[in-house]
Amino acid sequence: MHEWSIAQSVVLTVTHAFPDKKIKKIKLGIPMFSFLDVEILKEAFDVLKQGSNLENAELEIVVKEPKFQCQHCGKEFTFSQISDKLNQLKTQYGEEYPLHLMPELLPSFISCPYCGSHDIKVIGQEITIEGIEEVGAVERAG
Amino acid sequence: MRGLRKLEPLRELGKEKLKGKKVIAVMSSKGGVGKSVISALLSLSLPSVTLIDLDIHTMAIAKLFGVEGLTHEVGKEGIRPFRINNVNLVSLSGVVRGGKYVILPGGNQSSVMEELLAYSSIVTDYVVIDMPPGLGDEVLVLERLTDFQPVVVTTPSKVSLKVVNHLLSYLKERGKEKVYVIVNMAYFKCGNEIIRPFGEFKGDLELPIDPAIEDYVGRIHEYHGEVRSKIEEFVKKELM
Repeated sequence: MHEWSIAQSVVLTVTHAFPDKKIKKIKLGIPMFSFLDVEILKEAFDVLKQGSNLENAELEIVVKEPKFQCQHCGKEFTFSQISDKLNQLKTQYGEEYPLHLMPELLPSFISCPYCGSHDIKVIGQEITIEGIEEVGAVERAG
Repeated sequence: MRGLRKLEPLRELGKEKLKGKKVIAVMSSKGGVGKSVISALLSLSLPSVTLIDLDIHTMAIAKLFGVEGLTHEVGKEGIRPFRINNVNLVSLSGVVRGGKYVILPGGNQSSVMEELLAYSSIVTDYVVIDMPPGLGDEVLVLERLTDFQPVVVTTPSKVSLKVVNHLLSYLKERGKEKVYVIVNMAYFKCGNEIIRPFGEFKGDLELPIDPAIEDYVGRIHEYHGEVRSKIEEFVKKELM
């Protein structure tokens, strides 16, 4: 269900930033470890865009693989090195998996595979609007 | 396709959720002065209110209301608050659950605070925010999202006053017209005598020391002692 909040944030942001443009496509980046349901996200977007200048817009979703760096020992590591731990967390929490709701909580749940520190810098953890494609201006009556 | 760097969907959603609301931030740059107890009692004195526990490391609000073992449901409208009397409560403890500690690097801390505000379902006119101590991201995050009414909490201690004065100067510089100062643990009564163990400082409201509050941790909504009645009086006069 959290996908609806994300979709709402995208619709709000783009309609506020480009009120006079007809939007054709929005490219949205989501972090891999948030395990958001892409189909639900698109369905929510299609409902929430109605009546706005995004009415004919398509939502393209890019699942981003983040990069991790431990700020304690300085080593970098990859998603695959922590995926077992994340799967355990998903099993433990089920539908209430906290990184689904708040991906920035990751350093609380994951420690560096080399030194065990939670002081982890994650590049690519945010939900971002990566790009927008327009087809022209909105036609206004009068 | 246009490349975009400055669009921030999370922030837009947070702004939208707080638009048109009366947001009261219970704050203090000093820790341990009673912000959470005051946030709780202040919320209980308002009409229907959303109380958001932004002190994401201590999550004391959940402890005070006895909801720390519960998990927030999430609907299309966002994180569904726990309902206790007139209070719609949102706490990170309802997301991480099980008494899990939360340790985060600075940038993540402010993002999680922003997420808590943006993803919550807020249907009330009043929003009370229990702020973490400090004069950093916690204040800046809230400033980015909304205008707010500051209620600053201190004790009469010289150390607390010194620290809190920094916050008051900052709020003044940022153009806050009215900043309320609540002096917690200001005095206790011994017979007919009023004793002020930590010194004298008046502020806009002085609250007595009431050790009975400790018995109400976990059911703060059932506390009806002197601290609550003084806060109720203050809320009616100043915040409604």
